[in-house]
Amino acid sequence: MIVTDHDEPRAAGRIPEGLPADASLRRVLLACNEELLMLIVPLPDGNDGESAPNPVRITETVTAWAAEVDRQDSTSLPVITVPLYGCHVVWKPGQAAVVGPVSRLELLTTALSNFASCEGELRQLEQRCVDLVATVEEDAPHAFEFEGRAVSRRGTLAGRFREAVAVRGRLAVLAPAAHAPPVHPPTLASQLGERLRDRTRLAERHEFAVDRAELAERLYEACGQRISEFGIAQRQMALEWAIVVLLVIQTALLVVDLLSRGVTT
Amino acid sequence: MQLSPPPTVFLVMSASLADSSGKLPRVAIIGGGPGGLFTAWHLEQLTAVPLSLTIFEATARLGGKVCTASFASADIQYEVGAAELYDYSPVDVDPLRELVQQLGLPTVAIGGSAVFVAGRSIANLDDLGDVGGASARREFTNFDIRSRSAMTPADFYESGSDHAGDAVAGGRFEPALDEIGCGKARRYVDVMIHSDLATEAGETSCGYGLQNYLMNDPAYMQLYRIPGGNEQLMQAVAGRLAADVRLNAAVTAVGTGPNGTLHLQFRSGERHLAEDFDTVILALPMDALKRVRFTDTALADAMRQHVEHHDHPAHYLRVSVLLDRPVPVLPGDDAYVMLDAFGGTCLYVESACDPCATNGVLGWLIGGTAAVEMAFLTDDALVATVLDSLPPPLATCRDRVMEAHVHRWTNAVSALPGGWSRLPVDRRHRPSHAHSGFFVVGDYLYDSTLNGVLDSAEHVAGWVVAEHASGPGTMPMDRDRATMEAL
Repeated sequence: MIVTDHDEPRAAGRIPEGLPADASLRRVLLACNEELLMLIVPLPDGNDGESAPNPVRITETVTAWAAEVDRQDSTSLPVITVPLYGCHVVWKPGQAAVVGPVSRLELLTTALSNFASCEGELRQLEQRCVDLVATVEEDAPHAFEFEGRAVSRRGTLAGRFREAVAVRGRLAVLAPAAHAPPVHPPTLASQLGERLRDRTRLAERHEFAVDRAELAERLYEACGQRISEFGIAQRQMALEWAIVVLLVIQTALLVVDLLSRGVTT
Repeated sequence: MQLSPPPTVFLVMSASLADSSGKLPRVAIIGGGPGGLFTAWHLEQLTAVPLSLTIFEATARLGGKVCTASFASADIQYEVGAAELYDYSPVDVDPLRELVQQLGLPTVAIGGSAVFVAGRSIANLDDLGDVGGASARREFTNFDIRSRSAMTPADFYESGSDHAGDAVAGGRFEPALDEIGCGKARRYVDVMIHSDLATEAGETSCGYGLQNYLMNDPAYMQLYRIPGGNEQLMQAVAGRLAADVRLNAAVTAVGTGPNGTLHLQFRSGERHLAEDFDTVILALPMDALKRVRFTDTALADAMRQHVEHHDHPAHYLRVSVLLDRPVPVLPGDDAYVMLDAFGGTCLYVESACDPCATNGVLGWLIGGTAAVEMAFLTDDALVATVLDSLPPPLATCRDRVMEAHVHRWTNAVSALPGGWSRLPVDRRHRPSHAHSGFFVVGDYLYDSTLNGVLDSAEHVAGWVVAEHASGPGTMPMDRDRATMEAL
């Protein structure tokens, strides 16, 4: 799910002090069109999280780094810390740190990117659901009865229906990732994914988002039906009037014809 | 774990259970452990008005192997017996889970992946590959595939019932382990399951071994505990019973009495007493069962055969330690780890689920041969020995011990040996056809779990109520026997 990634230059001030010299920053462009800034701190292989360099201090440092850096796209989600069998992962939207043996880093960064991409897309969809649900109350009367004065809103309602369907579609695509069952036998990547999904309540959030999108979809589908019925009724009325006019003309012509015959006779 | 349904399960009005004189049938349950309490619970649930029910418990407390105690130095609980409960609900209905919910008890899921072998943590396939190379990873994966093929989640759920598949009824577990061609992968599996088996791989059945391996897969089963102590489950059940509970009343003998009743002799304090009951349900662990004397020859023969068939002891040893400060977080936030010490030991971090813990609590669950051998050590020697087994992430806990307790559970469960055939569910619970009012309940009749004993209790309770409602000799098994005898 990673589109591109590249290592950030080791700019002064970006990487916190006290980390090993080979710590690096990596900026990953995720499939959800968000960026993930990853601080990668390699530990020597075979380090079980217990020997030097002091992993506890490193963990504290990267957690503080993730908590302090102010990013525009940061949300109310707290910083999540996952200790994982000699590795340590810190994550919040847009930002993450991975501490672990060199041989594990690639596994962890890939799993983290996959999770971040999934979470990022869900977060975007949640926002779209919020926007949709915000208009529900305003648009709800149109689901019962569509009046002539609302004709100008037809395009808007159709657009919202398309948006609701699109959100539901994206949520359906996301469902297998959000509700993925635990893998057995586990791998390090699967364990990280499971813990992050669990801690960010991804499955529950996905369900709530589906509920909201479903509500909006049902509302705008009903609106669409009322609009369609309104359109049909309008066309029927025009047709009826046309028939009436034609009948009147026909009658008038008949009367004229009869009168003209009477005069001739 | 699930059983065939009880002979008849319905709500029976107490009036229909009463005899012509209007007297309610007298039911005695011998044993106040999970088997006895669950049986009493089901009996009361199946009748609109409580039966005349008496529970005899030889000790001063109810709950048996489900026991939570407190340390003296701090008001902190630790599990003396069952440290975890099994949740089969990912596969099908789990009566124990439903009972816990029905009683309004909170639960918390627990888990752990790390297996420490030679001081090195193996928590996933990547770690196993690091330790044993590609062959270890491949061999373990193949074993996993074979295990799943041999026992599906549905087979796992049905184990213990009359419908259990071949894997459960099959041979010994050791040959299945021997198929793992890599020593390191084999050791990993050994350590992972040893403490749950409570016996050695060569002394249990393939089905039981596979069960204890597959229980690590969340698709088969999940683990949970009750915050504040698992004994709350027993207390909650006991607190809702209307039965006459007699503590410190050890039943010494069972025989036949007048008018088809059963005659109980028991000791209450210094007094030796006797009473007659219409139905007697023996809900005792195997070692206690062997101490009961049966004065009726036919009953004694039947019980001797019953004991001979089911007596395959497996052993546990629990060591619980209170620390002066919380335990460092385990790698992976786990609630327990497996250690290769003592043939394979589970080390629970019992304080892990409490974010406000002021002290740490560690609990070792030692099983099998090691549990028997170590049971002869003094408590101090045992505590020193288990502290030596602490894995690197918890090594610092050694110097923080405030208090320690040892509990020996030798002969506590069944090893379910290979090549041993299970009896049909009805026969397991009624050892003597000639004594229609005599039943047996126990975890050893199923899979040595709390879920198993609940199944056992439910089966017997349904049977007892149905018999009293319809009269002896009317149940399917009795009819079958009568037909066989006629033939």
